[in-house]
Amino acid sequence: MISKREYRRKRQADWTRFEALIHKVDSKGWKKLSGNDASQFSQLFREVCHDLSIVRTRDWGAGLTSYLNELVTKGHNIFYKAPPTRSHDFFAFLSRGFPCIFRRNIGFFITAAVMFFLPLGITWVVVQNRTELATRILPVQQLDQMEDMYAESSFEDFGSSRAAMGGFYIMNNVGIALRCFAMGVLLGTGTVYLLLTNGIVIGATIGYLVGKGHGENILSFVVSHGSFELTAIAVAGGAGLMLGEAIVHPGRRTRLDSLRTRGLEAVQIAGGAAVMLVVAAMIEAFWSPAPIADQIKYAAGGMLWLLVILYLTLAGRGEEVA
Amino acid sequence: MSSLDLTSSDVPAIVELHSAIETPENVVLTYRLAGPALRLWAYVIDTVIRGIVLFVAAIIASISEMAIEGVPVGLWLVLLFLMEWGYFAIFEGFFRGKTIGKHAMNIRVIQEAGYPISFWSALMRNFLRAADMIPLYGIGFISAFTSGKFRRLGDLAAGTVVIEERKVQLPREPIILEKIQPLSRSDIGTYVPPHKTLTLIEEFLQRRFVVTHQRGHELAARLAKVLAKKLNFQGQANFVEEYPMAFLACVYVTFHRTMNNDADEEHHHNPDQRQPAVAGEAMITSP
Repeated sequence: MISKREYRRKRQADWTRFEALIHKVDSKGWKKLSGNDASQFSQLFREVCHDLSIVRTRDWGAGLTSYLNELVTKGHNIFYKAPPTRSHDFFAFLSRGFPCIFRRNIGFFITAAVMFFLPLGITWVVVQNRTELATRILPVQQLDQMEDMYAESSFEDFGSSRAAMGGFYIMNNVGIALRCFAMGVLLGTGTVYLLLTNGIVIGATIGYLVGKGHGENILSFVVSHGSFELTAIAVAGGAGLMLGEAIVHPGRRTRLDSLRTRGLEAVQIAGGAAVMLVVAAMIEAFWSPAPIADQIKYAAGGMLWLLVILYLTLAGRGEEVA
Repeated sequence: MSSLDLTSSDVPAIVELHSAIETPENVVLTYRLAGPALRLWAYVIDTVIRGIVLFVAAIIASISEMAIEGVPVGLWLVLLFLMEWGYFAIFEGFFRGKTIGKHAMNIRVIQEAGYPISFWSALMRNFLRAADMIPLYGIGFISAFTSGKFRRLGDLAAGTVVIEERKVQLPREPIILEKIQPLSRSDIGTYVPPHKTLTLIEEFLQRRFVVTHQRGHELAARLAKVLAKKLNFQGQANFVEEYPMAFLACVYVTFHRTMNNDADEEHHHNPDQRQPAVAGEAMITSP
């Protein structure tokens, strides 16, 4: 059997060479590597793997083992690099991937939509008929503020601050949707809670304003961006429920495995919902408060609802995008 | 250390910080997991950076607000959103698992299977921060300490682990051994220490400067005593007790030819009559 020292003497040049190649890739990236270097890299990688096995089986000590382990680890990380994410992929994801994955898991969306839209509708109807009940849900101050805001039909004072509002809507609404998704990991409880509370609060607000006689103002304002916004909250909620379900009903997998494999689709759905909410924020900032006739807003709003429905039901149909 | 009785119950349990995976090349790789302290520091650094960026942006926004009303505030709010939900995911997704704080602490997020983290995994582990953060990362901490590999919920769902990256160098040869005399054959029995034990001694000697002489002797004492007994060492009476490190070195020198076959002929030299204790002195006082 060859001695440790001899083995080291024989192999050391290759190890140093491999180290240098790793350094080269680390600092300059794969693309700058010459063809010769690249093929040498893959050959040396396999050789160093072999060296590591030998050193391990012969018990040549932790020092040498951890040195080679480090080399192989670095090589492994470079060799099996994650596929790069390109802007092209982003659009492919939005136009086909996201709606496909969404439809594959549409049951969760329907459940979340019921949990969100049902309390929304019920509180809307109840509060509209007895506006004093709204104070049980929202503080009086906030209700007064809302009433002031929607008392006039136009939003002239919004004019200069539209961009600021756009930023606020992104920060606030996308945040709510992502939280709605993330809390799903607490066995779905967080998602259910957020869906119900958001539904109740939104329902109470709309019901209160409609009941106070500002129906035209609030509804013409909400109808356009509501298409993307309300749907996206239910979409994100559905993704959150997927996380919860993956843990509660793991099937034949372990709970961890189940969370990991099914979570991959869930997070992609949540990502898509986030993009939908960014679109909603733009509509809410620049279109919804614009001084335009209500009829036109209703028409545009109807178109947007149709667009959202068609997008989610038809986009990417007939393609198998993972 | 299998042949030596060092695994008895009074040895404290080792905190498992290693994670092993098997590569497609059928090699088992071990990773050193990043402990909670390192991760906390990385998080603190990232939080400070995010705060500074937002603060500076707020100043710029409030100045430019005079020129274009609304837009700077809107952009600042988008930045606030990105800092809250995107900072970690973007850095980890596009910079091979490292944020600035992680880079500073030399830690990295990887897939549990050893691959670099993918974009969606980075998104998952950082979206779930929202759940881990309740209250004050309480859930994250509980999860990290019960999951076995310091994984918070985000890590569990994304299938990621945070590892420590250390610069590992090819170990040096224990040069000092040239000065140390082997044990006299008349002082020891026929027992030949196993290969593994000699490797252990070699590594110990390579790293002996990491600790003080006193601690070095303390660490060496257990093995030295066991070996002295097995070897039936008849030499100088208190040598083993007083200079266990030196004794181990002598044992190594005595047997390392067996270990390295005959490849080290050139390193071998004639034993002279120096006392083992003197050799011990030479070793423990050397820098």
